[in-house]
Amino acid sequence: MDNRLVIEAQGITKRFAGHTAVRNLSLQIPSGSVYGLLGPNGAGKTTTIRMLMNIIVPDQGRIRLFGLEDSGRDLSHRIGYLPEERGLYRKMRVLDLVTFLAEAKGVARRTARQEGTQWLDRLGLSDWIRKPVSDLSKGMQQKVQFISTIVHRPELLILDEPFSGFDPVNTQLMKDIVLELGRRGTTVLFSTHIMEQAEKLCDSVCIIARGEKVLDGRLSDVKRHHGGLHVILAVERGVDSVHALLSDRALVAKADNYGSYAEVELVAGSDPQQLLEALLRAGARVRRFEIAEPTLNKIFIDIVGADAAAPRAEEDRSHA
Amino acid sequence: MRKIWVVVRREFVEKVRNKWFIISTVLGPLLMASFVVLPILMAERGGADRRIVVVDLGTEGLADRLVRTLRPPGPVSATLLPAEVADLTRVADSLTALVGVKEIDGYLIISDEAVEDGMAEYRGSNVSSMADMQILERVLRETVMTERLGRAGVDAGVVQQARIPVRMRTLSIRGGKVTEGSGESAFILAYAVWLVLYMAILLYGVQVMGAVVEEKTSRVIELLISSLRPFQLLAGKVVGVGAVGLFQLAIWGVCAWLLFQERELVLRLVGIDAGPAGGFAFPAVPLETIVIVLTYFLLGYFLYAAMFAAVGAMSNSDAEARQAQTPVIMLLIIPTVLMLGILQQPDGGMAVSLSLIPFCSPIAMPVRWAAATVPIEELALSIAFLVIALLLVVWVAARIYRVGILMYGKRPSPKELWRWVRTT
Repeated sequence: MDNRLVIEAQGITKRFAGHTAVRNLSLQIPSGSVYGLLGPNGAGKTTTIRMLMNIIVPDQGRIRLFGLEDSGRDLSHRIGYLPEERGLYRKMRVLDLVTFLAEAKGVARRTARQEGTQWLDRLGLSDWIRKPVSDLSKGMQQKVQFISTIVHRPELLILDEPFSGFDPVNTQLMKDIVLELGRRGTTVLFSTHIMEQAEKLCDSVCIIARGEKVLDGRLSDVKRHHGGLHVILAVERGVDSVHALLSDRALVAKADNYGSYAEVELVAGSDPQQLLEALLRAGARVRRFEIAEPTLNKIFIDIVGADAAAPRAEEDRSHA
Repeated sequence: MRKIWVVVRREFVEKVRNKWFIISTVLGPLLMASFVVLPILMAERGGADRRIVVVDLGTEGLADRLVRTLRPPGPVSATLLPAEVADLTRVADSLTALVGVKEIDGYLIISDEAVEDGMAEYRGSNVSSMADMQILERVLRETVMTERLGRAGVDAGVVQQARIPVRMRTLSIRGGKVTEGSGESAFILAYAVWLVLYMAILLYGVQVMGAVVEEKTSRVIELLISSLRPFQLLAGKVVGVGAVGLFQLAIWGVCAWLLFQERELVLRLVGIDAGPAGGFAFPAVPLETIVIVLTYFLLGYFLYAAMFAAVGAMSNSDAEARQAQTPVIMLLIIPTVLMLGILQQPDGGMAVSLSLIPFCSPIAMPVRWAAATVPIEELALSIAFLVIALLLVVWVAARIYRVGILMYGKRPSPKELWRWVRTT
């Protein structure tokens, strides 16, 4: 991975009639990284991605792709974009459609047909290439959409909620391909509201909520920065038996009680050993005491609050 | 440019492959063939199978002459039935019963009053048939006329001479020259021009709208918009559907021409011996008329297709688009409603102004051109106005399209539309 920035956004802002969808957002995405744009529904992920693709123009700020000033559409032959709301021409034949979508990105017709056929083969759709799209199952259509995103060998993949609506088998298949492309040097930016997915795939993340950046950086840095003070605790007779101890705000900042175990966040500057000592002194029989890296989900909720993590009550579909 | 071409090709190939295209392309010539065959079939079938009874209430031979004039090959054959005035009610009742069982089609009651006051009465099941009534009236009028002249002592030869009908041939003068085309064929041509243009602009314009709505509802647009500019997409779509339209019109045009050339063969195929009457008259179409029609078709199609595309872009479903298209279709209907006025007075004030107003001129001007002589300055002015309007409409439509294709939810108000147009 070199340090060249594939995507560089500076202070981009987009306002719609009713509200500000994205406010003063800056992103630096280095070449070769697998980058997660995280946030709840309505946080401004799709708006951000559409601005990166120059489908909508930011009110303020500047965007450079591959270090160039050209718009995302002019660079479409180098970018594979999978939108959140995606569909296909239902009456077109599968290979014709894949070919057309590749040609629209500037690939020569013959190359488009060859590469398209190869990918359709690889994903098990070789029997369907002459059938109309409407004959395909939903899962197969998702594969076709995915193929049309990667068939022109893009250097940058921008995937907006790529796994939403995928069945588990397809999700796994797509993840494997995304990771494989990532290993080969393709830069991947994808948005998701499912933190667990991002945790498995990303090396860097940016979390946004209500249109603003909450934090960004390499996943390991983010975790280190927020880690160390988290303890996963399980005791005999259940966590409730040590309730008094976990309410001690001198030591414990926050405790998420799940009944059989608890995720405990200690007050800054304290030592997890103090908690263990206190537990033993109180006579609790400890079954599990793990100084844990926090999950991304936990970091997210800790920073933006459970309130902001919830989807916006009234989400304006036309602008989201 | 290359990307527009990619969109054009997809649009063309998919549309031409579509089963509706194939069905309508095949159906067109069949319809045309039926235009050639049906009038002849009907004329043949109509031959001499109207049977009427002429009730003679004492006319000193007038009724007898009438029956003889109506003899085949005329389409109506008549039988003479002398009757007394006193018996009329009874005779009429029994004849009415015969009409009821379709023994005869009707009966004409004629007395000497016909000669004196011009009174006669026909009762029958075919009174709504204009053709039958015209023949009956004409024969009756001529027979009565002859009778009156004869009774006034005019020589029979003079009467015969007086009965020779006058036939006026009409020839239209175009560009200071008498052309072969008759007034009637100019009318038929103008009418055909109107029909073709109205149908084609409406048919293919609506197809553009349908294609835009389809891309929007199926969310394909989201994939396309990342690699194609809205204008490329719009231009490709409009040109693609337009090419399909020209292709289909060309097929139909060639078929129509072939059918006309080979009409005797066609007639023989359906078992009719083509007489010299040979179906309807196919008006000669001058080359410049074809050029004018094509030019206005293209300009008019682009004008309306752009508007239909904008309507499609601001709608969320086919049903919504069908509602929203009403104002656009109204524009197209104006020259249609006023068509008769244009045809009757191709140089009248209304025809001239309609052929200059951009939204009406694509139909009004070619119709005028086909029906009469249009000064070249007027033609140039009309085209200039149309091109200016086209550029303006395309500019506005492209802006509405650009915003609209990514908008879901409720349909925009005129105020919102205006904001779409203004935003950069």
